[in-house]
Amino acid sequence: MKQLLHGMFVAVYFGVLLTLLPDAALAGTGDETADPATDLTTLSPEELMKVEVATVYSASKFEQKVTEAPASVSIVTADEIRKYGYRTLSDILRSLRSFNITYDRNYTFVGVRGFGRAGDYNSRILLQVDGHRLNDNVYSLALIGTEFPVDVDLIDRVEVVRGPGSSLYGNDAFFAVVNVITRRGGDLRGAELSGEAGSFDTYKARATYGNLFKNGMEALLSGSYYDSTGDRLFFKEFDAPATNNGITDHTDYDSFYNTLAKFSHAGFTLEGVYSSRTKGIPTASYGTDFNEPRNKTVDDWWFADLKYERSLGSRLAVTGRLFYDIYDYRGDYIYSGVVNKDLGYGSWWGGEAKVAATLLDRHKLVVGAEYQDNLHQDQKNYNLDPYELFVDDRRNSYLVAGYIQDEITIFRNLLLNAGVRYDYYSTFGSTVNPRLALIYTPIDGSVIKLLYGSAFRAPNVYELYLQSASTGMKGNPDLKPEKIKTYELIYEQYIGNSIRGTVTGFYYDINDLIIQVTDPADGLLVFRNLDDVKAEGAEAELEEKWDNGLTGKVSYSFVHAENSATGQTLVNSPQHLVKLNVTVPLIRDKVFLGIQELLTSRRKTLAGNFAKSYYITNLTLFSQNLLKNLELSASLYNLYDYKYGDPGGNEHVEDVIPQDGRVFRVKLTYRF
Amino acid sequence: MLPRLLIFVVFMLSAVFAAGEASCAEPRKPTEHDVKAAFIFNFAKFVDWPPGKLQESGTIMNVCVVGDAPLGAALEAIEGKIAGGKRIKIKLEPPQQSQGNCSILFVGDSEKEQLGRILETVKNASVLTIGDTKGFGQQGVMINFFMEEKRVRFEINPKAAGRAGLKVSSNLLKIARIVGAP
Repeated sequence: MKQLLHGMFVAVYFGVLLTLLPDAALAGTGDETADPATDLTTLSPEELMKVEVATVYSASKFEQKVTEAPASVSIVTADEIRKYGYRTLSDILRSLRSFNITYDRNYTFVGVRGFGRAGDYNSRILLQVDGHRLNDNVYSLALIGTEFPVDVDLIDRVEVVRGPGSSLYGNDAFFAVVNVITRRGGDLRGAELSGEAGSFDTYKARATYGNLFKNGMEALLSGSYYDSTGDRLFFKEFDAPATNNGITDHTDYDSFYNTLAKFSHAGFTLEGVYSSRTKGIPTASYGTDFNEPRNKTVDDWWFADLKYERSLGSRLAVTGRLFYDIYDYRGDYIYSGVVNKDLGYGSWWGGEAKVAATLLDRHKLVVGAEYQDNLHQDQKNYNLDPYELFVDDRRNSYLVAGYIQDEITIFRNLLLNAGVRYDYYSTFGSTVNPRLALIYTPIDGSVIKLLYGSAFRAPNVYELYLQSASTGMKGNPDLKPEKIKTYELIYEQYIGNSIRGTVTGFYYDINDLIIQVTDPADGLLVFRNLDDVKAEGAEAELEEKWDNGLTGKVSYSFVHAENSATGQTLVNSPQHLVKLNVTVPLIRDKVFLGIQELLTSRRKTLAGNFAKSYYITNLTLFSQNLLKNLELSASLYNLYDYKYGDPGGNEHVEDVIPQDGRVFRVKLTYRF
Repeated sequence: MLPRLLIFVVFMLSAVFAAGEASCAEPRKPTEHDVKAAFIFNFAKFVDWPPGKLQESGTIMNVCVVGDAPLGAALEAIEGKIAGGKRIKIKLEPPQQSQGNCSILFVGDSEKEQLGRILETVKNASVLTIGDTKGFGQQGVMINFFMEEKRVRFEINPKAAGRAGLKVSSNLLKIARIVGAP
């Protein structure tokens, strides 16, 4: 409770500071002498090249992309990633309004606007890297923790579009579309070496090379290696002499290596990624042996993506894309010393084509088509020795989709954005999802958006077909897709180039939610379209960026989500979220202090208890160019060592899984 | 409790420090827009328009700005100055108007979707196009500013300039980055 009050106090304090500060900033500039620009006009071009300018943070330009988007959009830049010491994509999402992150010490999960059931596979957000879909075709999961296939240092920006996105993107764009855009080779113009060290014997090394060549070709190449030994942990549910009194060591290990290569030339971009991540499982999930270091999951991802973009005149643009992905999951689960191998293997290829045209000055039309051929959607489970096969399910399927969206300029300040997409899946059939948005700009700087949209999540092969005697599960090939309908009203206010405020209210209704229940007829677990969830909420956000580098963002979200069949509130659904991000320039342009305060209210657990509310403070001291081309940072996460936990899933004995206390990290990046 | 209080005090001090930093009367460094305006003045001096093909009559040279570029305000510093025997006039055009009568046209970042159309409308005239958005040089803008650390640089697309009949002086070409999309 004290933490809650403290958190609110800090949020209010900084909020007030941010509003008062500009007056202080303006007061000082009244007494400079000669207008420097007049002196500049007497300089020759060579001399002008030597003039150093005061940095104006052009990131403060709130792009048209955000104001005219038929949704509530947030953008996180590489600059923020460095200044707040974000280690993973989940750290980035955690800083955003509406998002709640939970970690079960194996995978990281994201909940949006109150929905994020413990153990859900993140299949209700669409994750993309440079527009390439990154939800696999076996579990449709979005990997957002250390399992995310791209090093966070390679991110140029993350664009998060809240709300139903199926009218453009199809499957999984249920609550949000998260597109991670990687840096361009031309931004590096050389090599970059980076090293990190942190708590629990954690290290990361990265080497990157990027350049823009004279012939116009751009290349980016990077490789990273990460290894963390992990902390010794205590789980009270295992506090018995037979299970080492609840203490487990060397089981929370986490390591990955990944590479990325990207080449662009004359409208073509070829991108390839390979990543492999290994995680130990300290929680002894699925009834496995406790304190057994051989319990682990390995997630590998390969993809190659070839994209072609071309503008034909100023009113027509075409995009074509071809891709091929392989997702390979291997889990080792030890039961009384017997190794159980759990495998998932997905491979798919596909293509998309999109045409964007401006017609009659009033219509911005986008028409597209997609095809995906799922070559393999395989699941296998067997005991190694003595050999016993439990699951050997191999599937293939395909999907075909077409979509159209029109942004109509009804009046100069009134836009209607209407879109619809038709998806046909060889597994369950077809689904149609529309979206409508009215965007009204009564005066310059104020935007009102009224949105309605529907989205779907296709049942995946795990839910459709998995039968396993060992875990008492059976498949359900008759599953239908889940559907969500969302209504949202957004008000955005921009003041100058440096202040932005947003207030939104939303309501969503999910039908045919797929949950795992026990069939009374045979006692087996099965997935069914049984649940209905309704939620309503409101959010507010204020963001300010000042010339001297001081930035601040504070947001508050409220949501009430409940299962409309049972009337019960949802598991792992925090009603209140408060997020504060402040960057303070300690030495102008060179040294910054990034402060993050995150407040999450209590969340119901599967057992009907509550994981208590928690309040986290993260601090990062970041410096650039104290020595030329050198970036240094030191971060403290969970500064107050607050003890908190996240609700466990069905596979966990633990009702609440304890999270990390205070963790530190130091990082060094050098450019050549 | 005490360490927490200490940290909180550090936050407050740092915030106050930042406030002080912002308000102290340090000599105002020129902004990137001031430097770009000065460069544009130089471009007016060091670019040759084909004789008789200047957009305006008499002794005026119009420097027009399309799109809500913050540069517009900084350009007031060169209003009325003489370049190549002509007096500079700054005109801030609203985006939908035709860009006639401008010898120099600056296209702001907000117009990046319209760039193709804008370049089409000045295609057959001898207009020096200038921008400060990444990629504009490749797309046919003749001189495009970019930032390198804290200094203003520019890239020149000599083919685009040549097609409009403009001759860019070698003293600009030798300090510029050359870009050349066909």
